[in-house]
Amino acid sequence: MTRTLRGLAALALGTALLGCSEPDPQPDPEVEPVAVAGGAPAGLQAFDTVYAVLTHPRCMNCHPAGDRPLQFDDSRSHALNVQRGPDDRGRVGMRCTTCHQQANHDSPHLPPGSPVWRLAPKAQAFEGRSPRELALQLSDPEQTHMTFEELVAHVRDDALVGWGWAPGPGRAPVPVAREEFVAAFKAWVAAEAPIPEEGSK
Amino acid sequence: MKTTRRGFLRGLLGGGALVLGAPLLGPVELFAQEGPAAEAWRASLWLAIAPDGAVTIVAHRSEMGTGIRTCLPAVLADELEADLGQVVIEQAPGDARYGSQNTDGSCSIVNFYETMREVGATARHMLEQAAAQTWGVPVGECRAREHAVHHAASERSLGFGALVAVAATLQAPDKGALRLKPRSEWRYVGKGFPTQDAATIARGEATFGADVRLTGMKFVTVARAPVLGAPLVRYDATATLEVPGVERVVELPGFKPPHLFQALGGVAVVASSTWAAIQGRRKLKVTWGESPNDGYDSQAFREQLLEAVRAPGQVLREAGDVAEGRAAAAKTFAAEYTTPLLAHAPMEPPCALAHVTEAGCEAWAPTQNPQAAQDTVAAALGLPKEQVTVHVTLLGGGFGRKSKPDYVAEAALVSRAIGAPAQVVWTREDDLRHDYYHAPAAMRFEGGLDEGGRLVSWQQRSAFSPITSTFAAGSTQPAPFEHMLGATDLPYAVPNLRIESCPAPAHVRIGWLRSVCNIWHVFGASSFLDEAAHAAGADPAEFLLQSLGEPRELELGAGVNYPNYNKPLADYPIDLGRLRGVVERVKARAWGRELPAGHGLGIAAHRSFHAYVAAVVEAAVDDRGRVRVPRVDLVVDLGLVINPDRVRAQMEGSIVFGLSLALHGEISVEQGRVVQSNFHDYAVQRIHEAPEIHVELVESDALPGGAGEPGVPPIAPALANAIFAACGQRLRDLPLQPEPRRG
Amino acid sequence: MKLTINGEVRDLPSLDPETPLLWVLRDEVGLTGTKFGCGMAQCGACTVHVDGQATRSCVLPVGQVGEREVTTIEGLSPDGSHPLQEAWVELGVAQCGYCQAGQLMSAACLLEAIPKPTDDDIDAAMAGNLCRCGTYPRIRAAIHRAAGGGK
Repeated sequence: MTRTLRGLAALALGTALLGCSEPDPQPDPEVEPVAVAGGAPAGLQAFDTVYAVLTHPRCMNCHPAGDRPLQFDDSRSHALNVQRGPDDRGRVGMRCTTCHQQANHDSPHLPPGSPVWRLAPKAQAFEGRSPRELALQLSDPEQTHMTFEELVAHVRDDALVGWGWAPGPGRAPVPVAREEFVAAFKAWVAAEAPIPEEGSK
Repeated sequence: MKTTRRGFLRGLLGGGALVLGAPLLGPVELFAQEGPAAEAWRASLWLAIAPDGAVTIVAHRSEMGTGIRTCLPAVLADELEADLGQVVIEQAPGDARYGSQNTDGSCSIVNFYETMREVGATARHMLEQAAAQTWGVPVGECRAREHAVHHAASERSLGFGALVAVAATLQAPDKGALRLKPRSEWRYVGKGFPTQDAATIARGEATFGADVRLTGMKFVTVARAPVLGAPLVRYDATATLEVPGVERVVELPGFKPPHLFQALGGVAVVASSTWAAIQGRRKLKVTWGESPNDGYDSQAFREQLLEAVRAPGQVLREAGDVAEGRAAAAKTFAAEYTTPLLAHAPMEPPCALAHVTEAGCEAWAPTQNPQAAQDTVAAALGLPKEQVTVHVTLLGGGFGRKSKPDYVAEAALVSRAIGAPAQVVWTREDDLRHDYYHAPAAMRFEGGLDEGGRLVSWQQRSAFSPITSTFAAGSTQPAPFEHMLGATDLPYAVPNLRIESCPAPAHVRIGWLRSVCNIWHVFGASSFLDEAAHAAGADPAEFLLQSLGEPRELELGAGVNYPNYNKPLADYPIDLGRLRGVVERVKARAWGRELPAGHGLGIAAHRSFHAYVAAVVEAAVDDRGRVRVPRVDLVVDLGLVINPDRVRAQMEGSIVFGLSLALHGEISVEQGRVVQSNFHDYAVQRIHEAPEIHVELVESDALPGGAGEPGVPPIAPALANAIFAACGQRLRDLPLQPEPRRG
Repeated sequence: MKLTINGEVRDLPSLDPETPLLWVLRDEVGLTGTKFGCGMAQCGACTVHVDGQATRSCVLPVGQVGEREVTTIEGLSPDGSHPLQEAWVELGVAQCGYCQAGQLMSAACLLEAIPKPTDDDIDAAMAGNLCRCGTYPRIRAAIHRAAGGGK
């Protein structure tokens, strides 16, 4: 599938949303999947930033590859036998919100909170993905169930994504400012979402 | 009878605190109460029967999950021929007339089974006598059965209630004249019966320590020194007093060494709710002074203990000549083992409510030892013990922690200061950081095998912070009761044997935790025996039986100070036939079965608290060194069993407790401060980690032994031995953490 | 502030909305069946239902409860007749009993959604509830018994 076709498919599938959290992301009118100055090289450079953020523990821990959430800066397996469950919000009796409430507490070992607390669907795992794999995954609407516009809105507006920059005590926030990350994401999309070569860092 | 504070403490040091429980009781105290016949007949301290037939039996031991609060009254009811369904169980406050109430050392049945039988039989005799007198027939023709006395010849019956007026006028029979029921007539003992509290617990209506409410009561948290013995220098409560609900702060005096069960001292935050008290304490700014324990580091201390056991110590027991034995051995080997500090972590943290008035102090607490609570509060307040009443609530777990009533003294001191009832609540952080810890220990073993693969030489040394340090400041020498717990009673038949103890100081409060020193002594000895089996190329279970030798009573040799859990060896010998028996049974049911790759079986056996336990643990170790325990089999012979279902429950619980300490438990200390603070860093087993459990009780007529603790000691070594069988790694330090597989 | 607890609307004035629900239940409402064990959602002793979902009341600020219905152990059944409560008594699950209110509330939430849970369902639903007495084998057996509806 060419990149253009992928982009079209992404737009077409835009309604099949399984977003990270409510409220549903709103499309960003600034994002147009067209070439920008610099083209693919600038897009790839922007993707470096995107990749660093998405694989940071604050993002990756709730985008795990397996059926267990991860936690803390060392991305250890979540304590208490907590599992993904069929709707990515925990299993019966041990839902995410059994412990995680709407806001953080002031101690690192109390469950942090946000108005919505959940895992990303397994198809959107960041854990263990190379830059190429992650770029391909983000470009595949069958996996993301989002258009690029919706992805941009997700990283820009979503409250649980935003928690990554205000995770409370004992957790490192995402080291890149959210605006910078969103700008990089947009730049990557605007450059027609170039895919890094195999073996690139 | 009365126990003075001085006498009480001497008892702790001499006989051993946890095993203090030899009944301080003289003959059964029985008295016929004078008064109008409409009132209940107070047949004994433990027993009252009302004219309507309602039987009230006092539970004088504390309920922390063993079922003892139902068990001892059921023994009495059985002997009385009372219907348990018409029995009300009443919890006794602290009262020295009951003898020891220190619910500790797995000795409630051991020490009070006979007493309960005698109380029940005495009252039964008097009811039969009352019926005989009423009917004008010989007492020999009257038999109590099912809550009534019957005269077969005339087919007459009178309910217990109808007999109390007459019974109350009679003289109690001599103890020697009592006829105890033969086993064939037992109704409850050995058969099983539900516990009194099961239904109220399931409805959420049971009263635990922090559930007691008094009008006008205040909720209290206490800021305590992070390092044992650090004095309070100053504090600033400005921000604390701004927290809504916080009413005042109270300075509590520090303790004077030895710390005993005294309140630690500090700054108490008094509030109108628990949450306000917790929040208020977080805002408190406290400066603590220097302590001699500032330099305590548990990692460095472990090395210090290992150094201690590399030098000769005090010889506790000796046979033959270990040096000659080793010299003549075909194969020699040595190993060192360590175990860390442990916290009790009962699900209910310590808490107590006290109300001090002109009349004295009344307290409500989840305490294993209400008389010690009376003593401690009396000493703290400068009151005579008689003016201190301690009511015992249900305990949300004890495991030894709640036999030390420091938290009750805190509540009393705060109540006196504020002139209102004060409920002191410990958070989990308080609990883990201010415990009476299970001591850290190191052991060194040196062994020798002959050509035939038999043990011919065994030397062991242990060093650990002694419990005596809690009662005598600076003590580095354990008491005989500490050695008794798995060291001096080493059961193996080795011709050349030496057991030594090496001194060690303490830098935190040391106490006793479920099965106490048995935990490290048996971890070391049973692991080393397994190492010997492998050195001999023998099957570990066969080697264990061979090393126990012929069925016989263990001879400790002359000069060994062995308190035998406060019972005469003549009544409660160390019976190696019974120990062999449980090994053979567990071997038959669990040993040598087919296992998946990466799984292994380990075995260990030990006698403690007059009970004989053998366990086979299955371990599974994966490539990352993660341990899973799919199944545990345990066989126990504790003599006469009163309530089999509760004994099974204790064994199930002991297995889980043993696995928690084997795989997770470790308190570490840096610069005198405990590092761990809550269950995220002091883990205990959870349901998804818990094994399939099979418990077998051996039927026995032997005198009843303890049930609460003896299941614990074999678990950790059986698991370590299973891990060796599973992956070839010999782990000699608790908690057990295999290395990931290389390559 | 209004709270619906065990079907009853309670008017609780002057409450700091940050106060964990646990302490409101215990100290303000007087429902002491819900227990404190850790204060950080590690042990599950404080488990209640919020709109039917097992929730650790020690980390739920009362201000976040809103209109949702709170059920505590006292409200699980009017008379201790919930099948789990009966199974708990029949099998002698409790030892000290302190954690059991939380265990029962978690188990009730499980059975409500999965009437015939597997061992794996039980492990997933109950792993947040610690029992230091080690009653896990009987908790598992009692859940299965309650699910079977008979002995």
